[in-house]
Amino acid sequence: MRRVTDDDHVFKALADPTRRHLLDRLFEQDGRTLTELESELEMTRFGVMKHLRVLEDAGLVVTRRQGREKHHFLNPVPIRLIHDRWIDKYAERQVSALSELKTRLEGRR
Amino acid sequence: MTTTVVQTTQVYQVFIKASAEQIWDAITRPEWTARYFHGAHITVTPDHYDSRSADGDVWGDSAVEVFDPPRKLVHGWRSLYDPEMASEDESRVTWEIDEDENGVCLLTVTHDRLEGAPKTAAGVSGAGWTGVISNLKTLLETGEPMH
Repeated sequence: MRRVTDDDHVFKALADPTRRHLLDRLFEQDGRTLTELESELEMTRFGVMKHLRVLEDAGLVVTRRQGREKHHFLNPVPIRLIHDRWIDKYAERQVSALSELKTRLEGRR
Repeated sequence: MTTTVVQTTQVYQVFIKASAEQIWDAITRPEWTARYFHGAHITVTPDHYDSRSADGDVWGDSAVEVFDPPRKLVHGWRSLYDPEMASEDESRVTWEIDEDENGVCLLTVTHDRLEGAPKTAAGVSGAGWTGVISNLKTLLETGEPMH
């Protein structure tokens, strides 16, 4: 079994334009094979494999073998968890600061 | 906005710090599902999957194909909460729970056989399953759902 994914793996996996491109391609059409993904990139098959492995280790891509072919599926759950953990937290502070400002300004009237 | 092709298989995965039995209970008992699954009260028995709103409206009513606690559950899926989706073909949901020696489980949810249910496929993808599964993780690990 893959090791427990932590945020570091996800951030590192996302910190590369080729890997983000691969995720976007899977978002448009999920379950693609290496050959399909490779055909859109100017990169060697091994290069694409290496990037897919990083995405898989971060839990962002899940593979399924169907017959002789390996299909790659986008798993958006780790991104959602980062959203819940990081984005929500900071956005909430801005919202509460704004509502505090609103209360203060309106209180002056 | 990029055009997206209808997906016939969707796979979601998450690690949860909970026992396989806890996760099994959380996906098969209404007192748990109501807290993270859009308020749905879901009851799964060895042969039947039943999902209802808090008011008792039927949201899901399908046969169970595999009932192997606490490892694997396979059941039919029809989105009866939406009239258009309800008229589509039945699809299939598979829950697999793999526990490691450290008390951490890898939960894999596969929604497939979506060929005859494009609206359902679009409805459950993206925020749908992703939200449910991340909520389930948060609920089991912290005792409170996120949303």
